[in-house]
Amino acid sequence: MEATLIDAPTAAPALDYHSLNAMLNLYDENGLIQFDKDKEAAKQYFLQHVNQNTVFFHNLKERLDYLVEKEYYEKEVLDQYSFEFIQQLNDLAYSKKFRFDTFLGAFKYYTSYTLKTFDGKRYLERFEDRVVMTALGLAQGDETLATNLVEEIIGGRFQPATPTFLNTGKAQRGELVSCFLLRIEDNMESIARGINSALQLSKRGGGVALLLSNIREAGAPIKQIENQSSGIIPVMKLLEDSFSYANQLGARQGAGAVYLSAHHPDIMKFLDTKRENADEKIRIKTLSLGVVVPDITFELAKNDEDMYLFSPYDVEKVYGLPFGDISVTEKYREMVDDPRIRKTKIKAREFFQTLAEIQFESGYPYIMYEDTVNKANPIKGRINMSNLCSEILQVNTPTTYNEDLSYAAIGKDISCNLGSLNIALTMDSPDFGRTVETAIRGLTSVSNQSHIASVRSIEDGNDKSHAIGLGQMNLHGYLARERVFYGSEEGVDFTNIYFYTVLFHALRASNQIAIERSERFDGFEDSTYASGEFFDKYTDVAWEPATARVAGLFADSGIHIPTQSDWLELKASIQQHGIYNQNLQAVPPTGSISYINNSTSSIHPVASKIEIRKEGKIGRVYYPAPFLTNDNLEYYDDAYEIGAEKIIDTYAAATQHVDQGLSLTLFFKDTATTRDINKAQIYAWRKGIKTIYYIRLRQLALEGTEIDGCVSCML
Amino acid sequence: MTPSEPLKLLNKVQAINWNRIQDDKDVEVWNRLVNNFWLPEKVPLSNDVQSWATLTPAEQTLTMRVFTGLTLLDTIQGTVGAVSLIPDSLTPHEEAVYTNIAFMESVHAKSYSSIFSTLSNTKDIDEAFRWSTENPNLQKKASIVLDYYHGDEPLKRKVASTLLESFLFYSGFYLPMYWSSRAKLTNTADLIRLIIRDEAVHGYYIGYKFQRGLELVDQAKRDEIKDYTFSLMYDLYENEVQYTQDLYDEVGLTEDVKKFLHYNANKALMNLGYEPMFPKSVTDVNPAILSALSPNADENHDFFSGSGSSYVIGKAVNTEDEDWDF
Repeated sequence: MEATLIDAPTAAPALDYHSLNAMLNLYDENGLIQFDKDKEAAKQYFLQHVNQNTVFFHNLKERLDYLVEKEYYEKEVLDQYSFEFIQQLNDLAYSKKFRFDTFLGAFKYYTSYTLKTFDGKRYLERFEDRVVMTALGLAQGDETLATNLVEEIIGGRFQPATPTFLNTGKAQRGELVSCFLLRIEDNMESIARGINSALQLSKRGGGVALLLSNIREAGAPIKQIENQSSGIIPVMKLLEDSFSYANQLGARQGAGAVYLSAHHPDIMKFLDTKRENADEKIRIKTLSLGVVVPDITFELAKNDEDMYLFSPYDVEKVYGLPFGDISVTEKYREMVDDPRIRKTKIKAREFFQTLAEIQFESGYPYIMYEDTVNKANPIKGRINMSNLCSEILQVNTPTTYNEDLSYAAIGKDISCNLGSLNIALTMDSPDFGRTVETAIRGLTSVSNQSHIASVRSIEDGNDKSHAIGLGQMNLHGYLARERVFYGSEEGVDFTNIYFYTVLFHALRASNQIAIERSERFDGFEDSTYASGEFFDKYTDVAWEPATARVAGLFADSGIHIPTQSDWLELKASIQQHGIYNQNLQAVPPTGSISYINNSTSSIHPVASKIEIRKEGKIGRVYYPAPFLTNDNLEYYDDAYEIGAEKIIDTYAAATQHVDQGLSLTLFFKDTATTRDINKAQIYAWRKGIKTIYYIRLRQLALEGTEIDGCVSCML
Repeated sequence: MTPSEPLKLLNKVQAINWNRIQDDKDVEVWNRLVNNFWLPEKVPLSNDVQSWATLTPAEQTLTMRVFTGLTLLDTIQGTVGAVSLIPDSLTPHEEAVYTNIAFMESVHAKSYSSIFSTLSNTKDIDEAFRWSTENPNLQKKASIVLDYYHGDEPLKRKVASTLLESFLFYSGFYLPMYWSSRAKLTNTADLIRLIIRDEAVHGYYIGYKFQRGLELVDQAKRDEIKDYTFSLMYDLYENEVQYTQDLYDEVGLTEDVKKFLHYNANKALMNLGYEPMFPKSVTDVNPAILSALSPNADENHDFFSGSGSSYVIGKAVNTEDEDWDF
């Protein structure tokens, strides 16, 4: 354009905090990012809003008495401790002089987490109070653990997931668990129970994922009469409406996902529900989709062959097992040759291309690489689905029902509670091992305190497995702080050694708990932990930093990198005493908690130097990447610039040390084609990635239509 | 259009050959518009029902009125405006782009009805539409623009069209941007951002074509058109200020919206290749609104509370054997 550019206006003084925060996205007259405006926004937020709306108490005693009496706090939580101890813990928390680093951190905390009066108008907690209450609730009377939890949480090293941090200690609350995974079998009782469970679990909080692979396809026979079944789409519609109806006291919208095998006959209809021009009758707006892809599908695409889709109804009749419990890769040729199994076919490459087209239009579906997941699974059984954020990967078994809808045999479904370490601050920890151990103990406590009686398969599953998911965040923030480029050789090397070290301490902590309680998870004897096979890769070869820079980072932090002999010792103890938790790690996408914790999300690169965050509860807010200054901008290339390959390399380095999954979002510019997405999916599969979460796209404004002086618009 | 007026249609049509491109901008914009195709059904507007209930009655009325005003403008642009530009096209591909613009304007007009039917009820909707037919400033705005579309000056039609796309819409767009910065009606804001994404391209493209057309006329004509543009802008601005007061006085946002009008008036003139009309001192838009205005699709939205405004129709390309070489 030859016309004069209009400068971004300079703001007048006395702005409200939203305006100050938005100035982060506008350069100042010297072309610099206005970080000070965001600090000012955070300050003004307290001055103009928080301080005026916080209920004042003269002292802790008065505050706790009031909150218990008015039924804001759970009395049982406080009764586990002496008042003197609580006072001491409170003083400890306040002595740390905690301050929110960003406006979004403070805004998000006060909007979504802190305890408010029942009319929603005034605040009853500051951040320190929430931390203390969370620590008291999770420690269940153990003073040492409570103190450690306060140290780790207020120090920013450990951050429990939203449901735990939001709910612990409150009298009126949802569950502390983050997410649930349910099987649905091929019968009406199970489908109806699935919908009921979706309602119950949404009401209590957490995302719910359901497996649809076992349900017979559209047109399949019912009671041997042909062309009777309506397939999976109507079930998806029912689920979508159920999730919209139930929300946790309005705290968050119910959210759900459904997973389907790539070789289910309804797979193309399943994908088409997310098409831009889908008919209203089949369009799925808010339900998330995931596709389970076995290795054979890649082989078929490689050879440019047809891929056969198999009727779950027939497969179950022939094998006596639900379709989801069959390894399609293993049985593929056999099922193709079996005339008893009805089948249809599509071109394998067309399937992958359609997958990419839908991802372009909607970001969905998630992908689970079924065989990769099962090969890496240390527990006996099959993994056939993941969850709403594609990081939970655990085994399950079916539930059967009597005619009166009561349980005949309660199977095992999955729940998982999460919490994440801030990698940068954990590297700064005075005691790395203690940080990991405290997190593991905190998460274990959530499992111990959870009893979802309305869904017995979940309750039983949790009681038997004590599964938890320790996550990680702020990888990019840490690397940039240390002036290491994300996805570089050193960046990947760090990721490898960091996750390797965390795994060691996570197993050590779980082993310690098993020893203390003389209890191990149900099925330990059949796991590769018991057989010792799990440890081969750590005892056979030495894992050491490949670059001097990474060796230096660990040495400077005083962190001991476990050696082969450390592993041999741990292996012996685990084989003797077992571990308490069936699953230990899962790396979630960390949306909200990373803002509060001043982290970059998960182990992704930043989405933007100044991220424009949009959520239903907070609206449109601007968030500066942690540790970003006007002097180190070059270390903050965003995910779209960094590209799929380096992200996959980084995740692959971490994946090999994580027993469950890691939410991996791929980022593309709008110049990408479906082929680019397919290539990334193939690359991820080859590198041993377990799941792919969203595909995010960024389209830049047509040249000439952009807003001048806007930080997020400049590249 | 009254029956007495002759129906303006192209007399001669040639088969459009997309392999012979006279102006690359036509292809660039066509591709962008096609990729940006969307329908209101994709946005989960019903997630805003709870948020709608938190607005005061005055705020609800304001919101409804703003959207009926926008509906009127989009209706004009879809049924008359974009279509009236077709006969003046310099290239056959330009004609095709206008047909796309016309269609999307109708999609926009329909989107507001989706918002209404999701959030409100028939009585209030009818009332808001009645207000829009009765508000003299809104009607005046419509009639000024319609007059120019019916006139026989191609360049003036483009001026009117650009001012509509890049200036007149924005008194309305202000409100959803304002709400979304306050965490209200965020899904509605997603939908409006999709509309802004389109209008930004439309205004830019028509302005661009205007500038190409201007190159074909002599200096005297250019001077005349420029005078005309500024006087039309002035008329529209006067009227727009009145309209803004009608809408926003009750909630106390008028001053802020006026700054936004200045900013967009300058932007519209810039699209036409002219210098700004308002000095910097009166275009200091609230940063929360300005930052939200960027047509870049770069919001990092939370999938669980909305569908976002960044997805586009992808370019499908077959994978080749080498991609599957493992």
